[in-house]
Parts: sequence; C-alpha cells; structure tokens
Amino acid sequence: MAEVVAAVDELPPDVLAALHGYYTCEVATVNRRGEAIAWPAVPYVDPSDGHITCAVSIAYPVKAYNARRHPQVSLLFSEPTGSGLPDAPAVLVQGTAAVAEVLDYPPDIIGLFRAVSRRQPDSARFTSNRFARGLFTWYLFQRIALRVTPERITVWPGRDFTSEPQVYEVRRGE
Amino acid sequence: MASESLLGRLGGYPAGAVLSHLEDDGYPASIRVGARWVPGTRDVLLDRVPPYAASWRGTATLLFHRHDERLEGLAQLVLKGAIEERDGVATFVVADIVTANGRSDTDEMPHAGAPLHMLQFYRVGRAAANTYLRKRGTPWPPIPYDEIARAVAGEDDEAPA
Repeated sequence: MAEVVAAVDELPPDVLAALHGYYTCEVATVNRRGEAIAWPAVPYVDPSDGHITCAVSIAYPVKAYNARRHPQVSLLFSEPTGSGLPDAPAVLVQGTAAVAEVLDYPPDIIGLFRAVSRRQPDSARFTSNRFARGLFTWYLFQRIALRVTPERITVWPGRDFTSEPQVYEVRRGE
Repeated sequence: MASESLLGRLGGYPAGAVLSHLEDDGYPASIRVGARWVPGTRDVLLDRVPPYAASWRGTATLLFHRHDERLEGLAQLVLKGAIEERDGVATFVVADIVTANGRSDTDEMPHAGAPLHMLQFYRVGRAAANTYLRKRGTPWPPIPYDEIARAVAGEDDEAPA
C-alpha cells in the first residue's frame, strides 16, 4: 500500500539524505526499441519543489532524446560511495522528465554544477583552467538537462532489495 | 558479438549491477542484483534478484559502474539483452555491450593520468558534439564562465533541511 505525500520534502529523513547525499544515481530512459537503459549521473534535488535535475553532454544526447520521446524515466539511488551514508536506503524514483538545453543558469543548474564541484574536487582542474575548459566545453558546459518530477518513490531500507519496500506516491496539492 | 574481454571485467564491480526493465505502466525501473558472467557464453547469471523484479522477463539491460570517494576512478559499461529463465535460474543473455568511453577494450573512463585515452575521448566526443551542433543549426550561445564560477562558489544549499 502506497503512502501519499504532497511533496518530496515530506519523505522520511533517511530517504531525503540518500537523495541529497549519494554522489550518483542510475538514470533509466526508454529507447526506440523499448529498452530501459540506465546510466550513472550526478543528481541535484532542487529544494524549491523537489524536482531532480541531471544533465548530459551534447556529445552523448541519446538519453535526452529518449526522455523527450518517452518522458517516463526512473532514477535509482543505490551507490553510497563517498556519501558518508553507509546505511542509507536504496531509493527508486519514477517520474516524468522535462528536457531542455542548458542555455541559462537557474538555481538547479548552479546547484548541479556545485554538486559536481564538491563531490569531484579534481574536476576543478578542468573547469578553472581556460585551456582545458576550452577543449572540453562540449563535455562540461554544453549540456542538456533532464528535470524529473518524482511521482512514485520506492524505498528499500538498508539497500536490502530482498526486503519489502515502502512505496510513496507524490501527489502535489493533496 | 559481445567482447569477451569486457565481459571478463564484470568481476570488477563488487556492488553488482543495475538491472533495468520497462514496466507495464510505461515507467522504467531499476534494481541492484548480483551478476556473474559464465565464461565462453553470452550468459550472465543473476542472483539476489529481489521480489520486486522476480517477474521481469524479456528485454532488459544491465549497468555496471563504479567510482571512488572523490568521484574518480570511473568505469562503466552497459549490457543489452534479455532476461530468460534457464533451469529455474534468471539468466541475462547478452546481445550487445556499450561502453561510455566508446571503446571496445576497456570500461574505464578517461582521466588525466592516461593522456592517450583522454585524447581519444576528446576527439570522439568533440566530433559527436559538432554533429549535435550542426543538427541544431544555430551556434550555442556564449557561456558566462566567470559568472558560473562565482555562482558555484557561493553558499552550498545541498544539504537537506
């Protein structure tokens, strides 16, 4: 039986800690052949409304194309390395993605860049170096954002997938 | 056919693999499983398949990825294929392998310590980005690097309330 919440920030603290703290999540999109394919990405949970932002390089736009064609996506938070949260749950977020090129820099994009900078401190060698930045602009800055509105959230305590998960449905305005 | 050298690297992912499948309601779903390649075959035996995914059969993918505490030491690859049941054991039959680095000989992502690998990544990625920009038709707007850097250096709001 799913528990209904009106907003992502109503989820239990350990679930929020995983969403905010895990360095990566596994983002699954659906391609033309109906295959669900996941790839790792750095997520950013926007505190204003709980949407989750990821971004892909324009050199690897297939996931964005997938999400534009088939907006239902999922994000699995299951890899705690680096987060300092060894006992945190696994969290599967299923929702709808909006896809747009990153042409301006609203708070969620800055939050995402900040998350990458903090979690991957060596990346600053590229982003702060004009030469390296110029070479890799296509990877670092020319990106396409996936903004995911969570709709169903499935939680496995302690990342024990054999346990009975707790399911939450996010119904805004209820 | 899938590269055996890449399949042989699956043991380098102690956290297992992420199994993804398209559910009937149109949403993809993923869970973690154990995955062990059977040498000489295209079969990857799945273990610790949780009840959530017990009914999954047919088209699916397996993602293997890892990183260290500084989000370095990145490696990843995806197996495309299908879940079949053989003698009561859930088996993933590999149809194709996709690496994030575009190479068929390694699953490791490029890094500054491997300049040749980095150069190849640059050349392949730059060409792909140019293809995207050509299709786009109009140039990408100028990027305000300094403005972004100042914003990123600002107050950290990442911790949950």
